[in-house]
Amino acid sequence: MNSLDRIQAALSFGKPDRVPVIAQVFGHAAVLSDVSLGAYVRDGELLANCQLKALSRYGYDAVFALMDSGVETEAVGSSLTYRTDMYPYVEQYAIADAREVDKFSMPDPRRSGRMPEVLKAAQVLRRELQDEVLIVGCVLGPMTLAMQLMGPEKTLFLAADEPDLFAGVLDFALEVAVSFGLAQIEAGAHLPLVFDPSASPAVIPPQFFREFVLPRTKRLFSALKSGGSFANWLHIAGPAEAIFPFYPEAGVDIANFDYCIDPLRARQILPRTCLDGNIKPLSFVEATPNDIAEDSASLLELFSPHGGLILSSGCEIPLEAKTENVVAMVRAPHARS
Amino acid sequence: MNDQSLDKLIEALLEGDQARAVAEASILRNASIDNEVLINQGIEKAMGLLDTKCTLEQFNLLEIMLVGRAVMGVIKTLYPDFPPIATRGTAVIASLEGDVHDLGKNIVKTIMSAKGYRVVDCGKDCPVEKLVDAAVREGAVIIAISGLITSIVPLVRQVVPLARTRGVTKVKVLAGGAALKQATADLLNVDYVADSVFDGIRFLELPREEIR
Repeated sequence: MNSLDRIQAALSFGKPDRVPVIAQVFGHAAVLSDVSLGAYVRDGELLANCQLKALSRYGYDAVFALMDSGVETEAVGSSLTYRTDMYPYVEQYAIADAREVDKFSMPDPRRSGRMPEVLKAAQVLRRELQDEVLIVGCVLGPMTLAMQLMGPEKTLFLAADEPDLFAGVLDFALEVAVSFGLAQIEAGAHLPLVFDPSASPAVIPPQFFREFVLPRTKRLFSALKSGGSFANWLHIAGPAEAIFPFYPEAGVDIANFDYCIDPLRARQILPRTCLDGNIKPLSFVEATPNDIAEDSASLLELFSPHGGLILSSGCEIPLEAKTENVVAMVRAPHARS
Repeated sequence: MNDQSLDKLIEALLEGDQARAVAEASILRNASIDNEVLINQGIEKAMGLLDTKCTLEQFNLLEIMLVGRAVMGVIKTLYPDFPPIATRGTAVIASLEGDVHDLGKNIVKTIMSAKGYRVVDCGKDCPVEKLVDAAVREGAVIIAISGLITSIVPLVRQVVPLARTRGVTKVKVLAGGAALKQATADLLNVDYVADSVFDGIRFLELPREEIR
């Protein structure tokens, strides 16, 4: 089996030759290649080459054409600050007044900001890896993109004070996500991961998720599936358990679950959804390879009769992760096969 | 004064309805109820109930922000010219260098202010030296660090030793936020890792002791 077959087997609760493992290696790939993060997030070809080197170093089942959470907002008009050793961040938000959201034109993934570089990364990765390894792009989910367009506090107060205006910003964010996601699939990504940490119940109540975020996430996944997405992967870190029951309705095929969620509970709530997680990200920095191997073995054991697991970190592998710890997680399924 | 006369204020505060909370506070003031009573029996009670709610149910930032905004709106109404004197001591707060996320920090600042702490905000992307300098300058009894990325862990570990070298020995150092919550207090070399802003405040209200 190649990586794609393996992940497909996990998705359908079949029997892969071993449990697929996806280390969420984003900027850590730049650190491995001794490339500055500032350069990595601005050059699609460089990013792809770093991802390929990381793949060759670790041998996991997916690579990421993913820069940072500022790509879409920058393409809409936000100003970002770049630094050598950290992800860029928004200096000035594009949308100062939600009433003006209608005046903003949709970014063109082939021309706007760094979107073309993300597409280039997906293109290079697909050219090099074909259908052997899963190529994962990324779009921000509507809630997170809304916050990146207006600023988190302003967005949350708007949501409470003027829900109609807020819904307009969410709709704009949804359109951006659909357009960028489809362009990534066309460029070569097998799927764009939908990254929406701001939709976590740690940020908004579950009933708010159901009313505002769920219908838009459903539309996003429906559009991506129609555009040829290999699977719908939703990534909401933190204590997301309270919104898991909405995932099947949203069309989620792969659900990320973070370290703070009991794996058994996640499996009970989502018995027919493939789960990816949930080794604690900080453990890749602070723990030992033995610790990681033990945590991985426990997860593999727990899911062994049931299937539907992609062994992974609960969220991004930290930039400063110890390589031997990533190796320990990647090796764990091999030890059982 | 009837115990129930503050119920509408408390209810409006808990619903995060700033306009209604301010209106209720104005009505109570016009009925000659002292500011001190409104603070101690209105705002304090609402904060206590929010604390209980956050302990029993999963808390979310949106609800806490709305309550915090309503509380600050009422305080501004009660004290339009000068804020009330913070009686619980001074806290310095920051997101450390390399971490540009400040939503969590801002919420902690609002809730601590509402609870009667004087909070000096050192901002985001703040060098450890700047934070400790502020603690010395302001006579802080609390240093609070919010962190959303794991790469600041080594910086968090520097806070207590640097504070000691600057002669700050009677300060409690707290950490919180998505990344720092993954660590133990020992690993971070701090006094406490708070699960939420209210969890942190509960720790602060324990009897004060010298830094380790």
